[in-house]
Amino acid sequence: MSTEEDSAAPPVRYLELKAALLLALLVALIGGTALYLMYARGVFEQTQRVVLLVDDSEGVRVGMDLTFSGFPIGRVRSVELSPEGNARILIDVPKKDAHWLRTSSMFTLVRSLVGGATLRAYSGVLTDPLLPDGAERKVLVGDTAAELPIVVAAARELIGNLNKLTASDSSLAGSLDNVKTLTEKLNGPQGAMGALLGNDADAKKIAEALDRVNTLLARVDGMAKKADAQVLGPDGLVAGSRTTVTQLNAVLADARGTLKKVDAVLAEVQAVAGNAREATTDLGALRGEVDATVRKVESLVDEVNRKWPFARDTELKLK
Amino acid sequence: MTSASSIQAALTDGVHAFAQWLHNWWRIAQLGAQLLTLALWPSSYTPAYRHALLRHIVLGTAPSLVGFTVLTTLLSLIVIRIVLVTSVSYGLTQYALEMMVRVLVLELIPLTAALFTALRCTIPRAAEVAALRSGSEWGSGSDPLHMQVLPRVAAGVVCALLLAAISCGVTLVLAYLSVYGFTTAGLPAYTRTVGHVFSPGVALVFGLKIAAMSMAVALLPVASVLITPARPGALTSAELKGLVRMFFVILLIEGVSLVGNYA
Repeated sequence: MSTEEDSAAPPVRYLELKAALLLALLVALIGGTALYLMYARGVFEQTQRVVLLVDDSEGVRVGMDLTFSGFPIGRVRSVELSPEGNARILIDVPKKDAHWLRTSSMFTLVRSLVGGATLRAYSGVLTDPLLPDGAERKVLVGDTAAELPIVVAAARELIGNLNKLTASDSSLAGSLDNVKTLTEKLNGPQGAMGALLGNDADAKKIAEALDRVNTLLARVDGMAKKADAQVLGPDGLVAGSRTTVTQLNAVLADARGTLKKVDAVLAEVQAVAGNAREATTDLGALRGEVDATVRKVESLVDEVNRKWPFARDTELKLK
Repeated sequence: MTSASSIQAALTDGVHAFAQWLHNWWRIAQLGAQLLTLALWPSSYTPAYRHALLRHIVLGTAPSLVGFTVLTTLLSLIVIRIVLVTSVSYGLTQYALEMMVRVLVLELIPLTAALFTALRCTIPRAAEVAALRSGSEWGSGSDPLHMQVLPRVAAGVVCALLLAAISCGVTLVLAYLSVYGFTTAGLPAYTRTVGHVFSPGVALVFGLKIAAMSMAVALLPVASVLITPARPGALTSAELKGLVRMFFVILLIEGVSLVGNYA
């Protein structure tokens, strides 16, 4: 700065210190930002390489994440064509996250309608051996956009079917015409009867039959009233039955008295039977005595016969 | 016949104006090259020059730091809030952080820093140079380009760079705090998002944009004064022209950076 300006402007205290602080702040900010960005880009991380093979790498861009359970564990470093014409997605996985990838891990590439594609890793068996550095794996592709033509084709088919259904000569239209005819008949003078029977003559017959049924019902109603009077009236069956029941009660009381007398008679008969049993016992003793007497008489006759001179020799002798 | 001659005259005037416009830009480029050569030449750093440089850096930058930091904080908070609320209402919260970093750090904040530097530092310094140039001492003593112009331009570059760096840092911190709150749990995910945004290409364009804007706001106001003939009536016109040139160049840099980032 020129001498005249220096003399005119007020001096700045601690000029060099302040300037040094400002410059140091600038250098620190620029350097810190650069280091942070390098760290954020994973420059200082030790990584291992995973190569994913896919037929179509659309949606895959350099820098996108490989996620495992929603957590980013790797970053796409480059996408290149293999000699076979497949896309090779080169992914750097930090060593500290590499243990999530196993030899049995599956990799998917999902393309959604909104947002970019996503690369995901699934490790079902975490006890399997670790995925080696530089391993190549096929990617399963789930493409929402690719399914759109299928959905559109299905929708077109559905719309075609709907058009067929709603066409003027379709069966649905015929059915609707029939429904219309039916409702017209329902609203007509014959109503539902005309719709059911189809012609007016039959409907009239049904109406006449109904009238006759009504007449019959009126007569049945009169008969029912008469029957009611005969059954439930003052001289009806119910009243007579009540008198009969009263008389029956009286008869039953008489019968109960008669039965009591019969009981007394039976008691006497029982006593007579007891006397007869005793008499029978005495008759046994008497019979024994008679038997003894008869035997004695028999032995007496035998004695007489033996002692009688004309007695015959009844003894049989063996010669 | 009259209309043909008037058209010819208009064409001639247009060609002259275009030639003058190109000539002015060429002179500005020449001046910038001279200043850059002087700045990179070790023998330029005499004690007198170093004192002047430090003085202009301190006087140009220090008074703006606090005010600009507060302004940046307010602007960032407003934009962050708008982006957050909008993304939540549309169910796109996973893109909110990336959008904040892209909109604020990559685009808005460097532009704001450059314009603030121009308004608070470089345009007043250009007016000083114009006033000195109209005086009798200009060119009589030491080399004015070395002792008067270069310290002011260099101070303007440092001021623009420092303000841009501070505002970017403040915005990154505010974006993190707005999304995750006062916790360190979100740092890995946040760092990963920032790493996503700042791919090598984007980081290069970002750095070049800030450097180009800093040089533009530092050089153009002063250069516009210097390339204009030193007449009393021409000074205001020169300052206005410098302002227009500066805005034009900033717009051009912004457009080129957008093409570089998103094309």
